[in-house]
Amino acid sequence: MGKRGDRITNEIRALRFDQGDMTQQELADRVGVTRQTVNAIEGNKYSPSLEVAFRIARVFKVPLERVFQYNDD
Amino acid sequence: MSLSYQEKCLWLMFVTLLGFFGFYFAMALSTSSVDVRPQQVALFVLAVVLMVIAQVGGHIVIAILDRRFRTDERDRLIALKGTRNGDFVLATGVFLSLCAAVVTEGNFIFTHLLLAFWVVSQLVDFASQLYLQRRGV
Repeated sequence: MGKRGDRITNEIRALRFDQGDMTQQELADRVGVTRQTVNAIEGNKYSPSLEVAFRIARVFKVPLERVFQYNDD
Repeated sequence: MSLSYQEKCLWLMFVTLLGFFGFYFAMALSTSSVDVRPQQVALFVLAVVLMVIAQVGGHIVIAILDRRFRTDERDRLIALKGTRNGDFVLATGVFLSLCAAVVTEGNFIFTHLLLAFWVVSQLVDFASQLYLQRRGV
């Protein structure tokens, strides 16, 4: 994952809790990925494709930048 | 964290491949010969058939026990990286087997060297995928 993993962070865990304690499995089912993938994304062990990233943002009904942040320092 | 469906399948493939071909090599290499014998061919066929039966049965059991089976983009990416790693080993093995075919007599050594490298390449493929499933990709 290396540098790319350090640069991209996300607020998925916080957004799940804000959405009434949504579980990783529930989010995975709604996005169309496995629970392990959601866990890997939250732990910055995997950067999803654009399609999956947009789907996650759509589930939470927030802009993409609210879910994922890119740090270019 | 519990094993995912993909991890269970990978472990099944890894263990059955190692087990059945480990058995084959232990039996086949216990006697030396210049050429491959019919008994060794029969042993190879038996090992393959038993391995396939074990893998099919194992996958059925895993699918029944883990009904939430699904593969996604991350699984496909991990599979591609595992295949790439395995291919490096396989290419090396093909080259070394060709060298062995030129410098040794008969077909025993080069055949089993090629088969061994194929098995190792598959094990490297599965091991790579298992590592990436846990570590991240």
